[in-house]
Amino acid sequence: MAKVVLRDLTKRFKEVIAVNNINLEIKEAEFLVLVGPSGCGKTTALRMIAGLEEASSGEIYIGDRVVNDVSPKDRDIAMVFQNYALYPHMTVYDNMSFGLRLKRLPANRPWPLNTRRAFTRHEIDQRVQSAAQLLGLGGLLNRKPKELSGGQRQRVALGRAIVREPKVFLMDEPLSNLDAKLRVQTRAELIKLHRRLGITTVYVTHDQVEAMTMGDRIAVMSSGLVQQVDTPLNLYNHPANIFVAGFIGSPAMNFVNVSIDQDNGKYIACADGFQVTLPASQYDHLPNYAGKQCIFGIRPEDIYDSNLEGLIKQGDGNSVKVDVDVVEPLGNDVEMYLKAGNVPLIAMIDSKTRARTGDTLDVLLDMDKSHLFDKDTEVAIY
Amino acid sequence: MAAPFSKLTKGLKIAFLTAYLVTVVFPMIWVLYTSAKNTQEIYRSPFGLPKFITSPSRRHIKSLITNYRKAWVDSHFGRYFFNSIYVVGVSLALILLLGCMAAYVLARFEFWGRNAIYLLFLCGLLIPMQLVLIPLFFQFTDMGNWLTNLFAPPVRALGLGELTISLQNSHAGLILIYVSASLPFTVFVLTAFFRTLPGELREAAMLDGASEYRTFFSIMMPLGKPGIVTTAIFNFLGLWNEYLFALVFLTSDRLKTLPLGIASLSMQAQYRSDFGLLFAGLVISMLPVLLVYIVLQEKLTKGITIGALKG
Repeated sequence: MAKVVLRDLTKRFKEVIAVNNINLEIKEAEFLVLVGPSGCGKTTALRMIAGLEEASSGEIYIGDRVVNDVSPKDRDIAMVFQNYALYPHMTVYDNMSFGLRLKRLPANRPWPLNTRRAFTRHEIDQRVQSAAQLLGLGGLLNRKPKELSGGQRQRVALGRAIVREPKVFLMDEPLSNLDAKLRVQTRAELIKLHRRLGITTVYVTHDQVEAMTMGDRIAVMSSGLVQQVDTPLNLYNHPANIFVAGFIGSPAMNFVNVSIDQDNGKYIACADGFQVTLPASQYDHLPNYAGKQCIFGIRPEDIYDSNLEGLIKQGDGNSVKVDVDVVEPLGNDVEMYLKAGNVPLIAMIDSKTRARTGDTLDVLLDMDKSHLFDKDTEVAIY
Repeated sequence: MAAPFSKLTKGLKIAFLTAYLVTVVFPMIWVLYTSAKNTQEIYRSPFGLPKFITSPSRRHIKSLITNYRKAWVDSHFGRYFFNSIYVVGVSLALILLLGCMAAYVLARFEFWGRNAIYLLFLCGLLIPMQLVLIPLFFQFTDMGNWLTNLFAPPVRALGLGELTISLQNSHAGLILIYVSASLPFTVFVLTAFFRTLPGELREAAMLDGASEYRTFFSIMMPLGKPGIVTTAIFNFLGLWNEYLFALVFLTSDRLKTLPLGIASLSMQAQYRSDFGLLFAGLVISMLPVLLVYIVLQEKLTKGITIGALKG
């Protein structure tokens, strides 16, 4: 186990900056998820930790050691690839033991002086068997990868990483090639495995559900920058900027361009056909924004039907009159596409609602869970 | 209406394919059984079955054995055969080893000048070998002299005798030509093939602690097998039947390869007309090719389709 620290890490591919000066500290035994849309630099960051890409500038620490110039095999890491990268012509056993069989002592002597194997055949066998047992691969050790299902291949890829007993696991979208059901199942297994082995893990995904369910902490990346690093709930409740707010949560947060007006000591957010009173608890942040344009954010699940008994009572300016555009029943909830004047909103409303397409409806917003963002910097005001 | 029509086309198809099969296979079988006849028999009925089949008797079996003994021993086909095996075998080993390495690097590594090197190989495909025959002949003379001047003095100094290196009239020289002439095609096919292998494998091996050589020999070569087999077969067929360069560069009889042997037999046949012997020689040179086809035909078609779809 070791911590991983990225300091001012940058990667340039000719003119393109894939990773832009990121700083990140991954604690010992932590499960950190790097999440972001494709092309945000998350995989490049991971590959730099693995040593498969060279950093253009900045430092990578694994433990207390700077590993920028250490070759991948000597970094004490193991990586699980998106397409598993199993050796097709080798059996499961050989796939898992390949790295152990190659390891020589002492590792720092060049070939051909490094003749002593690091592991005896017996040790290798023990490690492979115990990893196979842990992953339920016991009966498959003599099969070739092509004779395995997707889920089994995925487990072999994990097994290959586990037998090396690395200090850090690096996983590059390891679940994206599995079907939906298997993905959920494997997700839970990975979490259990991490708890059991306690190995520092950096996990790359573009799937925010995966990120929310698996990560001890999540680093949200966009255009080469780390936008926010925090626990899943903090990311959800207190997004640092519009990108994080829109990326975390499904369906995405509603954003409304509003102007902030001051009236009788209250702050009111107004748009065409949309008017709400901002929560008094946040007034400390607002004086500078009076009379200015801002972006108001509210999550679909924080919008309620006023005709239903709900947690949210009609209160101080939290009611909005909307037209119902589309109703999509999902079972437990109903996803509604609404229009308040010209402002489109998406709401997740309890399925008891009677509202139908074409109706006019009063919805209540849970203003304590609303967000406000600076229009220029896109940074959260509260 | 559709059924009888499709039956008709199917019948036509079968008829056509059968005719094609007969035209291709019959000459081969003809050569095979004619090799058991003696010259008189061949003159009497060129397409008739040999007596050794129609009326098996010790005398006629003897004429079969005589043909092959004469070919193998008296006409030195045994020696030519092993010369061919040696030259083609060593050439193939070198072609595949060097070709694989070059193709793998061109397909998987990024470095300055990569495309230029690849194009250089492709240029090799465009040059007709007959065109370079004469210049090559003179170049080999010069190279032989140059190598002799380079290595003879130290060898003499060590007291190991007089050394003369000649690339003409030597198997080494012929192998050199075969290897360089076959590399462009081999590299071209294998580069396309190695590009289809997932690049993550190399990275996975790197993380597993494999050196580039280990990755190449333990992972990429085994995975490249279909492509390697295909190029091996094509090169084998080409080199086994190669005549022109062998004719120009091999002059002494003890070095000759099978195509030269057959040629000299057929030339002798103009005067001596021992056709049974000629056919026996043909069978000897044909057999390895047939064997390769029969054993590897499945892999060959597989390799060709792989090239077609992914190359």
